[in-house]
Amino acid sequence: MQPSLTKKIFIYVGAALLALVIAVPVLWLFIMSISSSTHLTTLPLQWWPDAPTLENYKSLLVYAENSPSASFLYGIRNSIIIAFAATAVSIAAAIPGAYSFSRLPGPRRKNLLFAVIAIFMLPPVAIVLPLYTVMSALGLLNTHFALIIVYCSILLPFTTWLLKSNFDTIPGDLDEAPIIDGANRLQAIWYVILPIARPALGAAIMMAVLLAWDEFFYGLLFTNDIRAKTITVAIADLAAGRVADYGLISAAGILAAVPPVVLAFFMQKTLVSGLASGSVKG
Amino acid sequence: MSSVSLFNVTKAFGEANIIKGVDLKVEDGELVVFVGPSGCGKSTLLRMISGLEEITAGEIHLGDKRVDPLPASDRDIAMVFQSYALYPHMTVAENIGFPLKMAGWSKADIATKIREIGEVLQLLPLFDRTPKQLSGGQRQRVAIGRALARDPKIILLDEPLSNLDAALRVDMRMELARLHRQLSATMIYVTHDQVEAMTMADRIVVLRDGIVEQVGSPLDLYLAPVNQFVAGFIGSPKMNFWPAQTDDAGRVIMPTGQAVLIDDGCAPNQSVTVGARPEHLVLCDSAADAALTGTVLSVEHLGSDTFVQLHCGIGAPDQIDINVRLAGIVRVSIGDQLSLTNADANAWHLFGQDGKRMNKIAI
Ligand SMILES: Nc1ncnc2c1ncn2[C@@H]1O[C@H](COP(=O)(O)OP(=O)(O)O)[C@@H](O)[C@H]1O
Ligand SMILES: [Mg+2]
Repeated sequence: MQPSLTKKIFIYVGAALLALVIAVPVLWLFIMSISSSTHLTTLPLQWWPDAPTLENYKSLLVYAENSPSASFLYGIRNSIIIAFAATAVSIAAAIPGAYSFSRLPGPRRKNLLFAVIAIFMLPPVAIVLPLYTVMSALGLLNTHFALIIVYCSILLPFTTWLLKSNFDTIPGDLDEAPIIDGANRLQAIWYVILPIARPALGAAIMMAVLLAWDEFFYGLLFTNDIRAKTITVAIADLAAGRVADYGLISAAGILAAVPPVVLAFFMQKTLVSGLASGSVKG
Repeated sequence: MSSVSLFNVTKAFGEANIIKGVDLKVEDGELVVFVGPSGCGKSTLLRMISGLEEITAGEIHLGDKRVDPLPASDRDIAMVFQSYALYPHMTVAENIGFPLKMAGWSKADIATKIREIGEVLQLLPLFDRTPKQLSGGQRQRVAIGRALARDPKIILLDEPLSNLDAALRVDMRMELARLHRQLSATMIYVTHDQVEAMTMADRIVVLRDGIVEQVGSPLDLYLAPVNQFVAGFIGSPKMNFWPAQTDDAGRVIMPTGQAVLIDDGCAPNQSVTVGARPEHLVLCDSAADAALTGTVLSVEHLGSDTFVQLHCGIGAPDQIDINVRLAGIVRVSIGDQLSLTNADANAWHLFGQDGKRMNKIAI
């Protein structure tokens, strides 16, 4: 059936509005990032700078000690290490966890799953004090390790849940067949379940990296210098001085978005779903 | 070597006893079919043999080795799933080669072996496709190919043909029978379709509610069912049953009042159930010889046979209609009066109040 013309118009207008809402802030950020600070403060405001400049990017990317570039570049490095390590650890633990929740029987297992989700729901502010005390007692404040551990506690329930719901959709015959074919449980997971769940695995990895990359609260509290400060904290620091350089902050914002965008680009193919069809029935 | 023996095997899921003590021996190279109504525990029993399901009590032996404590992967049993359970992300070749990969075979050996299987099952042209790109019958053949990869001595099949259409099912049935002769492997085949069971089996195991009702060759079961359940389950159309009495001399009083001596007679003056297969009933010329008389309710002419449904006014209050299969073309029409008897006194089946067979087994 052909949608009516009015319906079509509504759909296109809606889509355009949505695109606008998403794109405009990014565009604005970009314009600010290529403007000089004088330009940003002159009245009346202009839509496009007279003299676009890459000065802001340069002062972030060219390393100089005790400058914004130092905290920015170290922030990127710390965030990459922490986000990827936390994701790797979480996924490695979530796969067997999700498999067990999805496949193995027992009411206690179900309760455990709800406990995990309940903990995930706790607001960070509720547990930050005890966590801080523990980290401080262990001498782990201002280390990558502390943030990796804390982020795992956020990522693990979430990735486990996501993978579990995906494993649930894989027919049970498909992990019994490899067992009959002489595989053990781990081989069945590795050779059959994981390849089938690849789109979900890709989504879980991406969401986990993003979640860790964007985290601010724990990052702010558990780090205090460039050895461990994450990119979100570093950007906040740029704004915390006596005079906030909005051009610089905008450039940092744009640059901080690059690693997740690159990741998403490379994961794209993995996210194509529909792999499971055709395995069963006629 | 590759016989399968079950000793008093039971299975309970929580409170529910599903398999209630099965003793069975499947001989080396035999094709045994488990048949029974849906939910009677056929799949459960098969999964217990494969090791996918733990047994609650009893013992399972393959050859002279006890295997029930062993995990499925150590039993060296192949299985074809009802859903086929092909690996969707692998090609046909990879699917068939997977058990060999798990067994640690070299790439070259795997390639040779799967080529051999591909030839037997005519799968070579499909080797690079994924399961998604195959028809139902092709998927079925791939599933069988995967089961054959390791040259298993025992192959289990759980309703392998139930997802195929009728014509394909007949073809695959013959192909499986051919494979069985060719491989001389022991096969256990589960189905709820008694025709499949009758056509393929060396021996049939009839199950009901987790109990083995009878084990025997297709003809044993057809000619001498041990109880009313087996009698009604084996054979198509189903055997007719009606209640009757025996007289002082131990003869069975048929609905027409005729007294028939079956075997040497049975216990006098008791209630029995008479069974007669539709294909054994014949028209008789004089009403005096008839065991049954009735009015024709419906007629189906197939050319080779004529199926007639007869209203005989027996078994009141809910009266029983009798199905008859007459050989060849018989010109009867609805409303006609027919007189019937059984061609051979041995072809009457008698069951006692407990449903057990009463007359002697005549094979
Ligand atoms: N995992 C299970 N948990 C509880 N009950 C089960 C389980 N598997 C099978 N059953 C029950 O066992 C009975 C037999 O099932 P099944 O062996 O699949 O029957 P069939 O293959 O003969 O149709 C059914 O009543 C079914 O509900
Ligand atoms: Mg079944």
